[in-house]
Amino acid sequence: MAKQVRKQLYEGMYILSATLSDDARQKALDKITSGITDRGGEIHKIHDQGRKKMAYEIDGKREGHYFLIYFTSPANVLNDLWRDYHLNEDLIRFVTMTADQVMEKVEFKPLPQLG
Amino acid sequence: MQTQNRPSPPLESGLSKKRRSCPFTSAGVRYIDYKDINTLNQFITERGKIIPRRITGVSFFHQKLLARAIKQARYMALLPFVSEE
Repeated sequence: MAKQVRKQLYEGMYILSATLSDDARQKALDKITSGITDRGGEIHKIHDQGRKKMAYEIDGKREGHYFLIYFTSPANVLNDLWRDYHLNEDLIRFVTMTADQVMEKVEFKPLPQLG
Repeated sequence: MQTQNRPSPPLESGLSKKRRSCPFTSAGVRYIDYKDINTLNQFITERGKIIPRRITGVSFFHQKLLARAIKQARYMALLPFVSEE
């Protein structure tokens, strides 16, 4: 009997190099998404957060193109994904976290009043 | 002589007189997101340091969440570790 693989919802934030052309960036993004889907994951939502100035320099780069991807995948896949990401030179930085729900819009309510 | 002319610092600052209430508790927040930069920015100094909760009045529970969110945001270069100015 095949063991039921539990899938977990994750959110990944990726910073791609801002020096890439539109085509190259799309290709780099496809590489990330196909890495997930090829391993049995499923993409739910991709937020293109656009080009942003980073708070500090990473590998000599001051700007990055931010992507937020919500996906479900089996937990054991993440190790493979990380290995891929570290080899990907267009990817400046990435983080994967477990998520409770897919955010349809990346917006936040401001705090009512400070103090 | 000059020291006498200097205004003496107030013995009780405005912070110690009034007990500040936690903005997260009053808003019923259960989770602080590292992507919410505008909120996080209110709890760091210009230098980029996390402001202690004795000054901001944030509850113990929320300060833990807040500190974690700020550190996550720093890693993704959304907030500075140290501001350059």
